[in-house]
Amino acid sequence: MIRWFSGLTLNQKLGLLALALGAVAIFARVGPGQTITLNAKELLTSVQRQEDHVTASELAAWVIEGRADYRLVDIREPKAYAEYHIPTAENVPLATLLDGALGRTDKIVLYGDGGIHAAQAWTVLKARGYTHVYTLLEGLDAWKEEVLFPVMPRSPSPEEQARFERAAQVAKSFGGQPRASASPGAEPMPLPTQAAAPAVAAPTLPAGAAGGPKKKREGC
Amino acid sequence: MSAPFYKLGAFGDEASLIVAFLVGIGFGFALERAGFGSAKKLVSQFYLNDLAVFKVMFTAIVTAMLGVTYLSWTGFLDLGLVYLVPTYWVAQVVGGLVLGVGFVVGGYCPGTSLVSTATGKLDGLLFVVGFAAGTLGFALAFPLVKGLYTAGDLGTRTLPEALGIPHGILVFTVVVVAVLGFAGATWVEKKMADRAAAATE
Amino acid sequence: MASVTHDAVHERTAEKVRAPQPYSNPYLAGIGLGLVLLAAFVLVGRGLGASGAFNSTIAWVVSLLAPAYARSNEFLGGYLEEGTHPLKAWLVFEVVGVLVGALLSGLLARRVAVGVEKGPRVGVGSRLVLAFLGGVLMAVGAAFGRGCTSGQALTGGALLNLGSWIFMMCVFGGAYAVAWFLRRQWR
Repeated sequence: MIRWFSGLTLNQKLGLLALALGAVAIFARVGPGQTITLNAKELLTSVQRQEDHVTASELAAWVIEGRADYRLVDIREPKAYAEYHIPTAENVPLATLLDGALGRTDKIVLYGDGGIHAAQAWTVLKARGYTHVYTLLEGLDAWKEEVLFPVMPRSPSPEEQARFERAAQVAKSFGGQPRASASPGAEPMPLPTQAAAPAVAAPTLPAGAAGGPKKKREGC
Repeated sequence: MSAPFYKLGAFGDEASLIVAFLVGIGFGFALERAGFGSAKKLVSQFYLNDLAVFKVMFTAIVTAMLGVTYLSWTGFLDLGLVYLVPTYWVAQVVGGLVLGVGFVVGGYCPGTSLVSTATGKLDGLLFVVGFAAGTLGFALAFPLVKGLYTAGDLGTRTLPEALGIPHGILVFTVVVVAVLGFAGATWVEKKMADRAAAATE
Repeated sequence: MASVTHDAVHERTAEKVRAPQPYSNPYLAGIGLGLVLLAAFVLVGRGLGASGAFNSTIAWVVSLLAPAYARSNEFLGGYLEEGTHPLKAWLVFEVVGVLVGALLSGLLARRVAVGVEKGPRVGVGSRLVLAFLGGVLMAVGAAFGRGCTSGQALTGGALLNLGSWIFMMCVFGGAYAVAWFLRRQWR
C-alpha cells in the first residue's frame, strides 16, 4: 500500500489529498459565527406589547417572594457588581453573555446601570433564540428610584400614603431607606453594603402590589 | 472566533492597506509563476491544448474553499464576517459572457493583464488601457445600463442556501468534480498534443 | 577543432542559463494562489480582486477633471467617499502589490522582457488593437458581473457564492463560444 502510494506522481498524490480533505469536509458545520439574524417584526411587536421588560417594583416583589424560577443577571463589569448588585443577581458581563453561562430556555432578567445596555443585550439574546428574556426597565437607576429610595409623595391621598409605607418597608428590607423628596441636585443616597439582602421579614404584599400594567408572559 | 483579524479589531485601516499590498504581492507572484503573464498560455485554455487556466483556478478555489471550511468548522474563522458579493444573476450572466469574449479577444483578464504589463508586454499594457477606457465608458453610460446592471437581484446568497444542500456536501462535490476535471484536462491535453504531433509528421 | 566544440558547448550552456525558466506545476501554483486567497479571508475578511481597483482609479481621475459630475454619477460616486482619498482603497493597494509580485517572480524566472504576445498569423498592430478592445469588453463584463476572474471566480468560487459560480460558468461559456472565430489571432 505504501509502495503504491509512493509510486504515484506528485499530482496524483495532491489529487488524493484533495479528495480525502473533501470527504472529511462533508461533515463540516459552517455556522454564521457571530452573525445574528433578527426577526424584525417579532422583535418590535414584543417591545410594543411591553413583553420585553419588568419594572423595578415587580422585580422587588419577586425577590421578596423568593421566586426561583428566573435568573437575575447583572451585565456590568465585575467591579461594579462587587460594589453593589441587586440581591440574588449573578454577574455575567456584557461581552461574555454568549459564552455559555445562560441557558437558552432560562427565564432571564437583564439589568445594567440604566436601560440601554440591557436592552442591547436583550436584542442579541433574542436574536440568538433565547426564549424568555426580559430587561429591568431602566435598570439600577429605577431600582434606586423606586425600590431603595422611594420618594415620599407630597400631600398624599390615603391610598398613596399606604402604598408609600409599603414601599418604605420594602426599601428597608433591601437596606435602603425612603427619602422626603427627589431633588435632582441632591447628594446620591449611599448604596447599601452587599450584606443587605432582605433579612427583615418580608412585608406581606397585597395582591396587585407589583403595579404596572398586566403583561403577558410567555410560558411560565 | 479569532478571524477575520481586521474585522475583529486586531488592526486598523492603515495596517489593512499594508496587508493588501502584501497579499497583492503574493497574488501577482503566484500568477506569474503559473505563466499567466503570457496571453498565449492563457488563451490556450480555450483552444484546449493547455488547460493550465482551469487547473490553476480550480486548484486555487479548492484550496481556499477547503481552508475556509476547516477554519470555520474549528471555530477559528467567522464566515459571517467574510464579504460576499451579492448576486445579480441576470447582470452576472451577461457580464460573464461578455468577459469570456473579452478574454479571448484581449488575451487577458484584469489581474493577469497586470502581471503581463509588469513583465514588459505591450499587449498587456494596451489591455490595461482598454480596460480603463471601458470602465470610463461604462460609468458614463451608467444611466442607460442601470436596469440591466441591477437585474436578477437575489441578494447575498450562497450555493448551499440556494440549492438547499449542506455546505460540506457541496465542498466534497466541488472537490470531486475538480479532480475529475483535472484528470480529464490532462487527457484532453495529451489528445491535442498527439493530434498536433500527428499533423506535423 | 577542439576549441570550436568547446565554444559550442559554452554557448549552449550560456543559453540555457539565460533562457526563461519553465512555468511552475499548475497545481502547485494553484495551491499557492489558494493560500494567498485564504490569507486574505483570514486577515481582512475579504477576497482578492482587480477590476475594483480600476473603478477606484477612474473615479479618482474623473473627480479631478470634473468633480461635480463624478460625485453625481451613480457608478463612480460609490468609489468617492467623503473624507477618504479614492485611491486609499484596499484593492488599489492590492493591485500595486500584484505588479510588484509579478515583476519579482518574472525577474527570478527571467521572464521579464519587452515584447508582444501573439500568435504567428497576426501582426503586432492588429494584436495591440485587439488587446485594447479586449480590455474594453472585459471592463463592461466585469462591471456587470461585479468582478472579474479574481474577485468573482476565485474569491466567490471558494466561498460557494451563487452569483460567482453563475458568472464563472458564463465566462468559460462565452470564451469557448468565440474561441474558434478568433483562432487566427492565436494559432
